Amino acid sequence: MYNWKLIIPLLIMPNFTMQAQEKHSLSEIDSLEIMRLIPERKQGSADIVTEDRMNKGLVINSLNALSGQAAGVNVTSGENRMAQLSSVRVRGTTSLTGGNDPLVIIDGVYSDLSTLSSIYPADIESFTILKNAAETAKYGSRGASGVIQVTTKKGHGSMFHISYDGNIGFESKYKTIDMLQRNGYISTAKTLGLDYNDGGYNTDFQDAVTRTGIVQNHHIAFSGGSESSNYRASIGVMDHKTIIKVNEYQNFTAKFDLSQKAFDNLLSIDFGVFGASQKNNYIFDEQKLFYSAATQNPTYPEGMNASGGWDKNSTASQINPPGALLKEKNDDKNINFNTHLGLDFTLEKELHLKLFGSYSYNSLENAVFCPTWVWAQGQAYRGEHKTEDMLGNATLEWKHSWGIHAIEATAMTEYQKSKHSGFWTLVKGFTTNELGYDNLAAASTRPYGGTGSDYTESSLASAMGSVSYTLLNRYTVAANMRADGSSMFGNNHKWGIFPSISGTWDVAAEPFFKSLRKLVNIFKIRMGYGLSGNLGGIDPYNSINLVQPTGVISYNGSPTITMGQFRNANPDLKWETRSTFNIGTDISFWKNRVILTAEYYYSKTRDMLYQYDVPVPPFTYNKLLANLGEMSNSGFELGLGITPISKKDMELNINMNVAFQKNKLLSLSGNYNGTQLSASQITSIGSLNGAGFHGGNNNIVYQIIGQPLGVFYLPHCTGLTKNSDGSYSYAIADLDHNGKINIEDGGDRYIAGQATPKWILGSNISFRYKEFDVSLQINGAFGHKIYNGTSLTYMNMSSFPDYNVMAKAPKQNIKDQTATDYWLEKGDYLNFDYLTIGWNIPVRNKYISSLRLSCSVNNLATITGYSGLTPMINSYVVDGTLGIDDKRSYPAYRSYSMGISIQF
Amino acid sequence: MKKTYHIIITIIGIAGMTLSTTFLSSCLDENSKDKLLEYKAYNTATNLYINSVGNLYNYIGGNSNSQGIQGTYRGVYDYNTFTTDEAILPTRGGDWYDGGFWQDLYMHKWTSTDKALLDTWNYLYKVIGLCNHSLAEIEYNKNLLNDSEYNEYTAEVKGIRAMFYFYIMDMFGNVPLSMKDGATLAEMTQATRQEVASTIISQLQEAATYLPDEHSNIQGTYYGKFTRPVAYFILAKMMLNNEIYLGTGEHTFNIDGKQLNAWEACIYYCNMITKEGYSLEKNYADNFAVHNETSSENIFTIPMDKTLYSNQFWYLFRSRHYNHGSAIGMDAENGSCATLSTVKTYGYGTDSIDSRYSINFYSDTLRVDGKIVYLNNGDPLIYRPLEVAPDLTGSKYEKTGGARMSKYEIDRTAHADGKLQDNDIVLFRYSDVLLMIAEAKVRNGEDGTQELNMIRNRVGMNDRKATLQNILDERLLELMWEGWRRNDMIRFGIFQKAYDQRKQVDNEDSKFTYLFPIPQAVIDMNTKLKQNQGYK
Repeated sequence: MYNWKLIIPLLIMPNFTMQAQEKHSLSEIDSLEIMRLIPERKQGSADIVTEDRMNKGLVINSLNALSGQAAGVNVTSGENRMAQLSSVRVRGTTSLTGGNDPLVIIDGVYSDLSTLSSIYPADIESFTILKNAAETAKYGSRGASGVIQVTTKKGHGSMFHISYDGNIGFESKYKTIDMLQRNGYISTAKTLGLDYNDGGYNTDFQDAVTRTGIVQNHHIAFSGGSESSNYRASIGVMDHKTIIKVNEYQNFTAKFDLSQKAFDNLLSIDFGVFGASQKNNYIFDEQKLFYSAATQNPTYPEGMNASGGWDKNSTASQINPPGALLKEKNDDKNINFNTHLGLDFTLEKELHLKLFGSYSYNSLENAVFCPTWVWAQGQAYRGEHKTEDMLGNATLEWKHSWGIHAIEATAMTEYQKSKHSGFWTLVKGFTTNELGYDNLAAASTRPYGGTGSDYTESSLASAMGSVSYTLLNRYTVAANMRADGSSMFGNNHKWGIFPSISGTWDVAAEPFFKSLRKLVNIFKIRMGYGLSGNLGGIDPYNSINLVQPTGVISYNGSPTITMGQFRNANPDLKWETRSTFNIGTDISFWKNRVILTAEYYYSKTRDMLYQYDVPVPPFTYNKLLANLGEMSNSGFELGLGITPISKKDMELNINMNVAFQKNKLLSLSGNYNGTQLSASQITSIGSLNGAGFHGGNNNIVYQIIGQPLGVFYLPHCTGLTKNSDGSYSYAIADLDHNGKINIEDGGDRYIAGQATPKWILGSNISFRYKEFDVSLQINGAFGHKIYNGTSLTYMNMSSFPDYNVMAKAPKQNIKDQTATDYWLEKGDYLNFDYLTIGWNIPVRNKYISSLRLSCSVNNLATITGYSGLTPMINSYVVDGTLGIDDKRSYPAYRSYSMGISIQF
Repeated sequence: MKKTYHIIITIIGIAGMTLSTTFLSSCLDENSKDKLLEYKAYNTATNLYINSVGNLYNYIGGNSNSQGIQGTYRGVYDYNTFTTDEAILPTRGGDWYDGGFWQDLYMHKWTSTDKALLDTWNYLYKVIGLCNHSLAEIEYNKNLLNDSEYNEYTAEVKGIRAMFYFYIMDMFGNVPLSMKDGATLAEMTQATRQEVASTIISQLQEAATYLPDEHSNIQGTYYGKFTRPVAYFILAKMMLNNEIYLGTGEHTFNIDGKQLNAWEACIYYCNMITKEGYSLEKNYADNFAVHNETSSENIFTIPMDKTLYSNQFWYLFRSRHYNHGSAIGMDAENGSCATLSTVKTYGYGTDSIDSRYSINFYSDTLRVDGKIVYLNNGDPLIYRPLEVAPDLTGSKYEKTGGARMSKYEIDRTAHADGKLQDNDIVLFRYSDVLLMIAEAKVRNGEDGTQELNMIRNRVGMNDRKATLQNILDERLLELMWEGWRRNDMIRFGIFQKAYDQRKQVDNEDSKFTYLFPIPQAVIDMNTKLKQNQGYK
């Protein structure tokens, strides 16, 4: 089964090259070639995003290139839009513990999102997204949450090429929160008769922590070869200084790929090596910084005072002078090294043996420094975490066809071992802030528990067999059976068996369809069902009884380390299993001018790995990692491609994908060792932070059985009531009609909406006139809500004048910060992600084969009813920030960039 | 050439696939390098002691919320202190509202779904679980020990377990009595408060025989340990509270072959402590000094050391004003303070102010190192003991209302804003023993004036007659913010009444607030448990 999406750019945009590509690009491959390729892909609905469809604009990380381009794929790149914070969800969250990140495979090497984000975008030829069980079956447990296959560019043919592409851009903020300025602050305090401190300045701290950001990317690639071998080498540099002072990101990458044919083409060898070195300077605590910048007394100075310290508003204990916070350091350095070797032996014409091995090494160094201005006596931390991954597999492939029959069979075994080791140390007690984390000897104490090291290893073994049979080139059935074994599960539960089956029917190829073929060019129906196992992102050794250092006591008068239990062990730990059913169709009309794909899926996760609440007693600890619960995900994905104009000089393409997603937490109870266990029906997963928000009833987002993961469960505010002093409070409804207001869980609260969007939209409109082209990307998300905790906090006059408030707060005069649905807002938005204008300069030069100039604006505009800084907060990843805008949003900013691509 | 190649490759391929399949099935064993297989932690008598008995001492103190008997927030200490007429954590504008948590404690409006209550329950029972496991390991590895080691180790664990049951029973009343390792949920049935209390008494009596006869607060071999005087102290508390724990009516105990009523039994255990050589420190404040390990008065403490141990003490940090913190180079949270009725009991604002007031509290104009501390606006920092209310928001004294905790000497070299101090946290001390004797005597129809006045005279205060009211007042004055107030108020029958600025909650005359509700999450998971009376 082949997805037409690959064909679109080729069939309808044969000469349309958005970016200077290397000449071997898809445009060269004629459509016949493509059609010939079709039967090669038998299973499922792989969604392939080729370079044409990748995002243009200012792409500062490979994942940005994918955002909005594939249905059911959500790329969340963190509010700073920096690479490392990216997370990707394919068809939403399917597991509670983790393991929700899709598997990333870069040229056959199992990898992860952070490695992918360190690859230079221009090195990527295509992304292939596998979503259905039958497609991901090949990758077993690792692919349970979807697979992103990344194919990087290789050398092709024997021509020698050099290409350069680069861009330079700057970023500037266009929206901050409208807080009181000096005059308003003082006059409000005076009007209310409140005691305030006047530092004598007029500072906009939100301005003070920002700057104009600068982005630069440069990339050079060489390729060449001969008939039997070719190579490609590239180096790239990225440098990004964000709009927040101190927040910076640098990446240096180098990549080399070689392919060689040997022994009369009976053996082909693929070798690749990739290295990247990244440096990131993060904000130590985003929430603290933005909270402080917004609420610091505006009469205080931006910089240090005369005595070299910082004027702290001592009555505002939850914030610090923003300038001092910028002196905190939170830096890391990440080194990736990946290499692989693949050998493909042609044993017989129809029988191949493939051997593949890869090795990846990652080293992450963290360094943190908190100066004495913000952290009594100062504190510094250094840590190093190293991960090594080794993988080997052997595959036997056999293809045979006779008459109207075609058969393909594959057998594979695989073994993977991962090792992790870490070392860290924490010191306290500095008398100088000059040395930062560079000389830990400048600190006086190394507290117990601050220094440590760890080592874990885990292994995964698999065996797989698959058979696919095609009749008359129209009917295909494929079956797949795999066994996965993981070291992390209990002794009798290490292995899991995961079968899958799929079928496709090429309706358009039927004789009875012949008369319609002029109108309908493609019509296929596909269907699949399969099981996959998930490790749920758990750590090794949960199934065995272990002890670790628990603390230090006085034994015989001297401090002695004790070893003890630290969690409930679960010897029955086993695979989390997910079953997926999918049915879909691909249709195209009018010579592929209109192309439509539609797919429905339903998946159910069983034996869900989760840290369940267990009763204490008899358990010692109140959590147990076990397999109990169930969760379902279903959705409908629709893709539409229209080409209204397709002429030699002019072309218009409109592509759009819509995904409807529905998630439901079905149960969190079950049988453990003969005892029926059940977790709480209602568990909070996200709450508000800040002054006066510690503990109590500030939980906002919950996980509730029978509901989607991440729902708002809040007291209902019926309006504002006037207090005796003229201020207002939130009036709370007595939802359970018991005559009392009780805003605890289970009391006067109701489910007020979901935090994850019900449907999401990605669309691209591109227009070409002669050598000029314009591309506009529009993404949107709908049907979800956002809790505006920022406004709840900044509108609360009871924290004034210790904490500054929004300019409109004095007028509304709310003296209450009870979390109710008053600040729950619709999260719907439509974001104009980028607009790019390009010019493919027609050069007639012996050396230059193509030249392209482009300029882009990223984050052009957002249409939303949401009143906060931006609706584009975390609405996908299930963690403490899901759906909650709580004083941590970056000021909204746009990027303006210019790019140049030259190919020699 | 081609044929040879094929044969070679096919052989290699088949051999490779066979080998790798064989290999795969044996390569999934886990072998932890950074954690120890449990049995290896009990390989010698010393390691058995350290990792089964010693390990439990990590859980007496704590460094995160609801962990530790004292030192941190939202745990045993806060539920026994901020629920009383002794201390209050007012809402101060944007600070300390915390969803109404602190006001609810003061007003007795806690509910079975309070997360802190569940966390506290889980903490206390975690230690019970660890104790049961330690006993099982000692039993299993008995061959490593001689009889006296076996008896001593077992007694120590049983003593610690009984102490944790003391707090559980005191707070929650009718609770599951889990006494063995590896019990199932089905076995976790609810015992009555009387059953739990009787078990605590018999377990402590049994353990006391084998426990070392040593002072635990003094650095050395027995530092921080559960020794015999500690067991006696809890036994005395059990006896003193017998009407609450065992029900009304006279209870008699056979101790040393004598039939004693509960008051006599209390006095007996108190006298046993006196015999161990405890006495009142000359100087009240010395018990809370930075280096208070030499105190002759402290019976059981949480060892503290800013570099050696991880236990923390957050209460000074929580109480003092921000500028007070800056003046000593530390942060502060400007929160907890004394209630109005407390400062009145001390005689604040009268001529006869109790001498312990200035040791326990910062009050009025604050001086650090003799210098006045100023607010940011240039005014001196003046703590206002009489400007206290559950919600001070909008008050002129929002940030300065209330007398603040002083009690423990400030360790100027402490870390983590003073939370990592060297002063050991005092859990049990001898002055409480004397007050217990005085009270037990009065309740038994005897005269406790001598003991009462030993306490008063030590701090230079006049004699008072040992009436129940005077004893209750003296317990407040002497044991201010030491975590006993709720226990005392319940025993004296005033916890359910309106007091200080607190009004009764609905139906409180039924005394249902004498127990906290069993956390709802616990009942949800163990449906056999019944909620305490008066809670939904």
